[in-house]
Amino acid sequence: MTTIAHDKDQEATLIRRPGPAELHPTRTHRRRRAVEVALAAAVPLLLVLVWQLAATQAWIDARVYPAPSTILSDGWDRAAAGDLWPDVWATLRRVLTGYALGTAAGYALGLLMGSLPLVRAALEPTLDALYVVPKLALLPIFLNMFGLGEGPQTALVATTVFFFVWISTMSAVIAIPSGHRDAGRVFGASPWQMFRHVLLPASLPSVLVGARIAAGVAVLVIVASEQIAATNGLGHLIFDSRALFRNDVMFVGIVCVAVLGVVFSELVRLLGRLLTPWAPRDRGRGQS
Amino acid sequence: MGDPHPDPHPSPHPKLHATDLTRTFGRTPHTIDALGPLDLTVAAGEFVCVVGPSGCGKSTLLRITAGLLRPSTGTLAIRTTSPRPAAMIFQDYGIYDWKSVRANVRFGLDVQRVPRREANARADAWLARLGLADFADAYPATLSGGMRQRVAIARALAVEPELLLMDEPFAALDAQLRTILQDELLELTQALRTTTLFITHSLEEALVLGDRVLVMSARPGRIIAEHRPPFPRPRTGDVRTAPEFTALKSELWDLLRKEAAPA
Repeated sequence: MTTIAHDKDQEATLIRRPGPAELHPTRTHRRRRAVEVALAAAVPLLLVLVWQLAATQAWIDARVYPAPSTILSDGWDRAAAGDLWPDVWATLRRVLTGYALGTAAGYALGLLMGSLPLVRAALEPTLDALYVVPKLALLPIFLNMFGLGEGPQTALVATTVFFFVWISTMSAVIAIPSGHRDAGRVFGASPWQMFRHVLLPASLPSVLVGARIAAGVAVLVIVASEQIAATNGLGHLIFDSRALFRNDVMFVGIVCVAVLGVVFSELVRLLGRLLTPWAPRDRGRGQS
Repeated sequence: MGDPHPDPHPSPHPKLHATDLTRTFGRTPHTIDALGPLDLTVAAGEFVCVVGPSGCGKSTLLRITAGLLRPSTGTLAIRTTSPRPAAMIFQDYGIYDWKSVRANVRFGLDVQRVPRREANARADAWLARLGLADFADAYPATLSGGMRQRVAIARALAVEPELLLMDEPFAALDAQLRTILQDELLELTQALRTTTLFITHSLEEALVLGDRVLVMSARPGRIIAEHRPPFPRPRTGDVRTAPEFTALKSELWDLLRKEAAPA
């Protein structure tokens, strides 16, 4: 902190002294955190309030865009009556199963292709070609393969997640500085020891970024596919309600999807933080 | 003790013996001769420093010795009973960000499947010896450059290697820290007498540490000169101020300058 003081002779003196942040670091940090949290909550709250106002003042058609209070009370009633949970549960189950399968397969293949150039040479062109196909376009194929049950939905999520995790794992393994491998080799590490001590931890931070993006996209894909070919789930609920002109229920579904997506990707982020205590924290987020 | 020349005559049983060693990179017609032909003999317990201009193949020589790279022609023999006689200290990237300081030092022991309790004890002993005891549970990212290199030294020595390979270990450090770590290394290696091959850019470093200083030519690297700094062991960093030190340094620099900047 720099201040300029004028003494009697009007000669300016430059004084640098500690500011509040230096004098009370803990308090400053706590306040800073409080402001960040308050801002994060205030912005969505403000948007909802504006929406509520617009609906009650009839600036927008409340039948097409129901007021947040209507959506909330409707959602509450449906949840209390137990009408909501079967759809939430159906979506959740598909997302989690598909996500687990896709992550496991993507990580294994990414690791293999990242560390063995021959496997990479064999598979990369094929996978690159499949990567650019919109995954929703594969749904008809999965419907033919697995019939009308849970199979196609889960397979679609798994495929989507697979490509995200595969790409981030492969590039992470390729990007490991050769010095890290050399050190392991000089000590005589076996392939398993190399994986456990070097490749896995070195690649984990970037793999987790891919896994977190995949978590959001998994929710996105499942909702789209449930609209096309499912008899339950949140995606089905949203489109079905619209067809029946129950726009309040439609919004309940949309809010559920948003909450599900945020919670899911935050859980993956939290897991990542626990798994990689050495890695720097996410930028643009408060430390907590 | 007190003998500046541990082995002035070629020993019948050297620790390390390289014959006609060369290494070429790339495929014809775009090949680069990086090293040699080079002949080198290192006696057991000897500390050999290799200096040379950038890109002269110093690191290539070290990587061949470590078993990370194979020679194109020639042979390099290490007298040992162990399949992994060497430990290497890298300029950077050697230690792992994801392991605590103790786990880093333990790494070589973990690879050898030393039981955890014993490995921890040995790691802690080395940490104490290098003044790192208070940082055993810290992650390397929180340490200064000098501390990180101390961790790398502790990790290499923890496996009690027969051969210590150091690839410009202090090049990334500032001048004061480099001097301090040189003195620490001097003290350590004079106590342990581990056979060491030490690559450096710095003539001063080579003269302080080495029983023998080898000067390499520009690429492809060959040994063009050999000097035995006349400072008796055990020596300390004080040799830097000796008049012979300055004289020897400028003599070597004259040699090296011709190689570094060909007229």
